[in-house]
Amino acid sequence: MVQLTLPKNSRVGKGKTWPKPQGATNLRQFRIYRFSPEENGNPRWDLYWVDLDKAGTMILDVLLYIKNNIDPTLAFRRSCREGVCGSCSMNIAGNNTIACTKGFDELPGGVISIAPLPHLPVVKDLIPDLTNFYAQHAYVQPFLKTVTPNPEKERKQSEEDRNELNGLYECILCACCSTSCPSYWWNGDKYLGPAALLQAYRWLIDSRDEATGERLDDLEDPFKLYRCHTIMNCAQVCPKGLNPAKAIAKIKKMMVERVS
Amino acid sequence: MSGTNRANSRPLSPHLQIWRYHATMFASITHRITGMGLYFGTFLIGAWLIALASGPETYALLEPAFTSIPGQVVLFVWTIAALFHFATGIRFLLWDGPHIGFEPKTASAVSVFLYVFAVLGAVAIWATILWL
Repeated sequence: MVQLTLPKNSRVGKGKTWPKPQGATNLRQFRIYRFSPEENGNPRWDLYWVDLDKAGTMILDVLLYIKNNIDPTLAFRRSCREGVCGSCSMNIAGNNTIACTKGFDELPGGVISIAPLPHLPVVKDLIPDLTNFYAQHAYVQPFLKTVTPNPEKERKQSEEDRNELNGLYECILCACCSTSCPSYWWNGDKYLGPAALLQAYRWLIDSRDEATGERLDDLEDPFKLYRCHTIMNCAQVCPKGLNPAKAIAKIKKMMVERVS
Repeated sequence: MSGTNRANSRPLSPHLQIWRYHATMFASITHRITGMGLYFGTFLIGAWLIALASGPETYALLEPAFTSIPGQVVLFVWTIAALFHFATGIRFLLWDGPHIGFEPKTASAVSVFLYVFAVLGAVAIWATILWL
């Protein structure tokens, strides 16, 4: 359901302003969303001054600088620090992206806000609960389904057929796209969202897959597929430059083509 | 169950409160708003047609409403809405048929163009009408 405002327990209050690091000349202020289940009360915005000369180049470096030098209680997910694992996805300066590939010199001036991915239950600080997101990924059965007997070696694919998977297989499941989508915000329980649908298309278009019909049947529903209104936020924010909106349009066309 | 209680007390992360809009998101919302506006605007067209068909006396009752300044403003805004919705409709055809215009930069540029087209188009139509 559309709810433009946040529920009472989710309104973000004013937090703490942390002291400036000593002897720093190149300072920038960051406003970071804080919530701890162990403390009573609403989430809050904490303000941190970061010494950019010592904080590396990326937003993930800034977060690590804060955790190491200012406030060790700040919680966030991270792993590969090079844009292949999709763990450090968050909302940075108003748009979803992965912190490890976003340089702080790419962002607009002034205070930079960092919040968890939008419209999700928050576990702690910048860590949202992605259970529903993963369940939706599982729903589209992202694996090869066949009925013909297995060939002796592998199932072969022409170069052209393999090229169909470019721009689809690169998805790292960071959830930036799904949680950028207003349609997913309002109907995330019923609409599968851009990430799961991109994966659905990745298997629909795979020349080796033999379950195309059943896959389309599973998406034929007023909500699962058709809540996409081409708002395009998914393609605008994807840190891997993929285009879920286009993949969804192609699924819609497959739906039409199999009827006609 | 304590686990369930904790899950229920989890706050919802901010969404519209923090989101920085792209041109495409603005255009999408405008498409919906203009769609609503055109729906209600159709009542005005209906009223105008009925008045027209009912003869000069009935039409004379309605005419001041359309020729007054507020009436003219409503009609001008309605023209913008009609042009905008028409143009986004064509964009949807290009998206859903040949899948043209999905690159984010193209889509953003087209979104800006939609506004320019709708406003300049409405000005051109009204300038032509008033000049004739």
